[in-house]
Amino acid sequence: MTSCVRSIHFPVFFRVLASFLWLFLVAGCSRESEDSGFAGLAESQQTDTDVPFLQPGPGDRLKFPEDFGPHPQHRIEWWYLTANLENQAGEPLGLQWTQFRQALTPRRADATPPAPSQWPLQAAWMAHGALSWRGQHHFAERLARADVGHAGATAQPFEVWLDDWRLSRTGESGRWRLQVSADNWSYDLFLRLNGPPVAHGDQGFSAKSASGEGSMYFSLVDIAIAGKVTIDGEIQKVRGKGWFDREWSSQLLKTGQQGWDWFALHLDSGNKLMTFRLREDGGAFTSGTWITGEGEAVSLSADDLILTPDADAEATPTRWRLQVPRYGVDLDIAAPPGDYRNEGQYPYWESPVSVSGSHSGEGYMELTGYDAK
Amino acid sequence: MTLFAAVFSHYRRHPLQLLALATMIVVATMLWTGVSHLTYQARASLGQSEQAVAERRKVVRLDGQSVAVADFVTLRRAGVCVMPWLEVQRPNAQGRVVGVDGLAASCFAGAGESAQAWNQPLNGKPFLDIRDAAALTAGPDDRSAELTLLAAEQVSQAALPAGYRLARFSLGPDTGELGESFLLNLDALGVLVLLITALLLRSVYQLGLAQRRDSFALLHRFGVSPVSVNRLLVLEMALLAGLCVIPGVALGRLLAGLLGSGFGQALDNLFDAPLYAGQAASWLSSVLTMMAVVMVVCLIDLIRPVSRAPVTLLAGQRRTLALAVLLFGVVLALVASSLVLVFVAVALVFVGAGLLAPVLMSGLARRLARAAPDPLKRWHFAEFGVLARRLALPLVALQFALAMVLAMQALVTVFEATFDEWLSQRLAADFFVEVPAGAESGLAVDWLANEPQLAASGDWQRVVRGKAELRVSESEPGQGVDLLAVAPVGRLLTQWRLQAASDQPWQAFARGEGVMINEQLARRRQLAVDGPLTLTVAGETLSLPVLAIYPDYGRPAGEVLLNAGLLPAAFKPGFESLSINPGNLDIATVVSGLQRVWQVETVTVRDNERIRELADTVFDQTFLLTRAMTVLTLILAAAALLIMGWVFFSTRVWYYRLLAVWGLRDREVAGQMVRLAVSLTIGIAVLALPLGIWLTWVLVHRINPLAFGWSLPMAVYPAFWVELIGLSLVVGLSIAALMRRQLQQPATMPASASSLAGGER
Amino acid sequence: MEQALLRVHGLAKGFQSGSEQIPVLANLALTLNQGQSMALMGRSGSGKSTLLNLLCGLEHPDAGVIDIDGQRFDGGQASDRRAQARRWADLRRQRIGVVFQEANLMPAMSLLDNVRLRARLAGRDDQGCLAWLERLGIGALGDRFPDQVSGGQRQRAALAMVFAMQASLILADEPTGSLDRHTADDVADELFRLQADHDCALILATHDAELAARCGQRLDLAHPSSSSSPSTSSMRSTRSAPADRQQ
Repeated sequence: MTSCVRSIHFPVFFRVLASFLWLFLVAGCSRESEDSGFAGLAESQQTDTDVPFLQPGPGDRLKFPEDFGPHPQHRIEWWYLTANLENQAGEPLGLQWTQFRQALTPRRADATPPAPSQWPLQAAWMAHGALSWRGQHHFAERLARADVGHAGATAQPFEVWLDDWRLSRTGESGRWRLQVSADNWSYDLFLRLNGPPVAHGDQGFSAKSASGEGSMYFSLVDIAIAGKVTIDGEIQKVRGKGWFDREWSSQLLKTGQQGWDWFALHLDSGNKLMTFRLREDGGAFTSGTWITGEGEAVSLSADDLILTPDADAEATPTRWRLQVPRYGVDLDIAAPPGDYRNEGQYPYWESPVSVSGSHSGEGYMELTGYDAK
Repeated sequence: MTLFAAVFSHYRRHPLQLLALATMIVVATMLWTGVSHLTYQARASLGQSEQAVAERRKVVRLDGQSVAVADFVTLRRAGVCVMPWLEVQRPNAQGRVVGVDGLAASCFAGAGESAQAWNQPLNGKPFLDIRDAAALTAGPDDRSAELTLLAAEQVSQAALPAGYRLARFSLGPDTGELGESFLLNLDALGVLVLLITALLLRSVYQLGLAQRRDSFALLHRFGVSPVSVNRLLVLEMALLAGLCVIPGVALGRLLAGLLGSGFGQALDNLFDAPLYAGQAASWLSSVLTMMAVVMVVCLIDLIRPVSRAPVTLLAGQRRTLALAVLLFGVVLALVASSLVLVFVAVALVFVGAGLLAPVLMSGLARRLARAAPDPLKRWHFAEFGVLARRLALPLVALQFALAMVLAMQALVTVFEATFDEWLSQRLAADFFVEVPAGAESGLAVDWLANEPQLAASGDWQRVVRGKAELRVSESEPGQGVDLLAVAPVGRLLTQWRLQAASDQPWQAFARGEGVMINEQLARRRQLAVDGPLTLTVAGETLSLPVLAIYPDYGRPAGEVLLNAGLLPAAFKPGFESLSINPGNLDIATVVSGLQRVWQVETVTVRDNERIRELADTVFDQTFLLTRAMTVLTLILAAAALLIMGWVFFSTRVWYYRLLAVWGLRDREVAGQMVRLAVSLTIGIAVLALPLGIWLTWVLVHRINPLAFGWSLPMAVYPAFWVELIGLSLVVGLSIAALMRRQLQQPATMPASASSLAGGER
Repeated sequence: MEQALLRVHGLAKGFQSGSEQIPVLANLALTLNQGQSMALMGRSGSGKSTLLNLLCGLEHPDAGVIDIDGQRFDGGQASDRRAQARRWADLRRQRIGVVFQEANLMPAMSLLDNVRLRARLAGRDDQGCLAWLERLGIGALGDRFPDQVSGGQRQRAALAMVFAMQASLILADEPTGSLDRHTADDVADELFRLQADHDCALILATHDAELAARCGQRLDLAHPSSSSSPSTSSMRSTRSAPADRQQ
């Protein structure tokens, strides 16, 4: 063969193929990005099938352990773990694992899934793994179609997997194991879950706009983590705390909302604080949850929260001021130096943060919808 | 500008010459663009398909079973980056599609590589989403679909879970360099078309130029320097080329579009792979190339006088040189081992023949004129010699076109005949019964073997198609080949024509003491009869001698014919059928018997005719392009000769009218015109015959084996020669009719008897 | 009284130009006996060539009668024209020799072959052809092709053709028109000498008054539309009259 055709690199073919299909999945046929929002989260049109996508509402309640499993009649959901760890030398190490499910066709939770031999495409899975270590950020992404078998989630026994990445219960109650491996890094962590799930918003219904759209959202906010992280062949023994989120909806971002800023903070006082802000034209929708050391959760509304980015409007703000006057909280939140963007199908910022000010602590910050520069 | 007007005024007086020139440029551009566009597209698609296939590996099961979705899940969950590749053969020659899972493919992308703009839409050409591909199949056991698990580059044998191994993956069969050779064929066709049209273009332009020399001389006398006249000629040509090349390119692309779909089908069928993606070549390169060709062909004389002296040759020397070139080409074609060399040889022979033909014709004319006792005959031959020299370029173009058409016709016909014969051997049975999915063919075999009437009066055999691996050496991974397994060995099989065979091959084959291979495989692997062959079939290794080599047409894949009794139990057939000549037994009885033993409701029975029809469709598509191009070129050459003949005669009409002045009746003059024109075109047709026959030989014996992997018997078709000569007759008669029209108009006396005005000898 | 070889009455010819009929010749009459010569004079476009074409049947008259060599041709019916054309062709072949100003020879044949061809077409023996070339002083050039000899030599060869075919009527249209004076005189000398020797009739269209003066008769053609006279052609004996000068 002539050399000119060789110049088309084989992996690129598959990469582009992948992004093409993913775009197709999440954006449907209309590719107007300003309407579809981040990862298609602003999708609202119903599909033509007689089974509709379910829309969470204020009356909805959480159900355990079922809600640890998938919700095939919702368009989007995720399992989300962030961890602030340190190695034996006390060096901080941030870590993230997320698995998304994006549905194309809604399906009742009790319906029989299609046969794997049909290579169905009712939904797709996307997993993200990231490591932040010594100012370096490592990120990997995995994609898979649902119902074939190599990716999925079950509530009982609890397992969420995509290829050889998996988060699963290990025999004992309240013990999980998370295994993720990418090209030149991997981690294998054991998680000890302390305390019951914390429901956000209205007993689990977390509003995402003033007009009532929202998601079901709960967290495990007190997780003790120990395990090992391998980076470029070097093994670190690590331990620290984690924060686990479960969230599902059929629409998270309203049309006109550009992105969100999310914080999950472990304060040294023993309190935990979750805050998010959805940016929209001419304003923002802010919400949060204050969790006491005893595990009691209090919903915070926009009136309770003052969240101020310390940056130009254009750039990704890596320093923030968060005030909750009701609890005397006035925090300075900062990402360590470095670039913590996850450069996958949809780039976004995911970094550990340190907390100072009225309280000290640590946590994680996620920023979406900002321009890369 | 006035000077330009003066230079250009010639075309105001002879608008038809301008029209002829413009038409030539448009048509030449169209033909060349058409061919090169198709070649470019085919090359791009072939490249795409090839790079998708080049040096890929797949994961297979150690137990020889086909891989299924469950294997994919097992491997992925073990962290092995594999992706599914589901090839589905659609019915009725719709071609095949490949279902891929773009999401699973994401692990194939190298880390840190940014997505590039090169996009591959999943639109079924040939890729589509694997779900849609799976939907085209009847079910998981559908034999028209084949699942492959492609392994990413980084996957090593050590990383695989137990029960799996890596194997070489190629999309479709190993076609060697055949795809490239096929494109080379197209390139050669394009070059030939370009050569012919360039000859025609040059001849039309030169004729006009010859007539304009007087006015150039006049301008020179008025003080205009030849340099500025030449500059104007270049400008004029650039304008004309610019005006004509662009619509020509547009038409060429249109032509390519029209031929494209059929051409794509032809490629698919030839190479058993979806090849034709139909991307667009750039306009600019086509336009610039043709502009350059037009300018060079027409204006080379402006450059040449500087270097003319050293290359001037005497007629005799030129004849010797042409003959030497011709002979060298012939010898080269005999000994050449690569396709490129064969094409060079063809080019040399054409050049030699093209140089020789007019010389030969006018030389013969001179000799005949000298020998003719009758002065009128002498005039006829003398005039014939003039025409042969003056119309040399369009005549040679016609000769090339005729030779090309003749050779293509012979190739297609001989292929058709051979293919037909071969198909009859392969389709010797009257009926073909598909073994349904899940049915046990052994039951049917037992039933058929115990049917006394069938044994007495009919024939049957079980035919299994599948894949095997050819072991070339211990270190290398095996190479996939098609496997054709047949049993029992009976009359349906033993009537096959063999190209080469050992002693009593069928008996040995029936005893399972060897295999037979097709010509393609023999050529590619340089396998000979009695040589050893090591095959891996469903995990088992068979080492057997080659008993015979059989012809196999219409596709490039290598194939091994095996006694079905040697198939390992684990072998999973790709397709299985029973060929049955029911003899005295009614086919309905056979079918109901099979339904009973298989316990199925319906059995698919195909008859001979259906399969034949399918084969014919494939066949027609294969030659669609070459046929279309050669016929178009022939039409162009004939039209060009008509235009040239007409223009040339208009300069010479005075002398033909002299015949009337000298007392020849109108009918006699017309008769002379007919004789002249017809002997000219028939003469060139006769000269085209040996060239065409030689080209046929080169096509079937040299190019075809190199390009497609199989050879054809050489055959000639004199009836078609007669057709071509008939066509030449029509062209000649048309020229004569045009001449006669001109004779009826009053002639102007030529200004002088110089060579500028038709008075040449 | 000598026998009239050619007798023409009321000959008329015009050309269609668009919707207009342009007369060229009208009511023309002339008589020419064997051995006589006649000069056709007139300006360009006055119809000299047209008359010559009519007299050898290459064009067809609108009206009038041409008696030539005992045969009669007239405007005739369309149905008759074909037969007339065949008789004209036979006449041209055997009896009428035409000499144009130039290009009388087939370019692809030698001078001798040209003469032979013409002789054979006329049904004559071609043995004497070389002798004719010799008589015209170009015997050594017989193997040459027309483009290899001078204009004068070509015109001599043309004369050789006419005499080799033993024409009884020679129609010459400016036969020396493109030759220099000296050569023209030589060629004209040959023409008149041979015409006299062979007792054939000659009609010579020319602008050259000196040449015209050597002919026994003279016919002046004026353009019909440029004259008020109803009969625009006149016939006079010029044997004793001084030659008219051209305007």
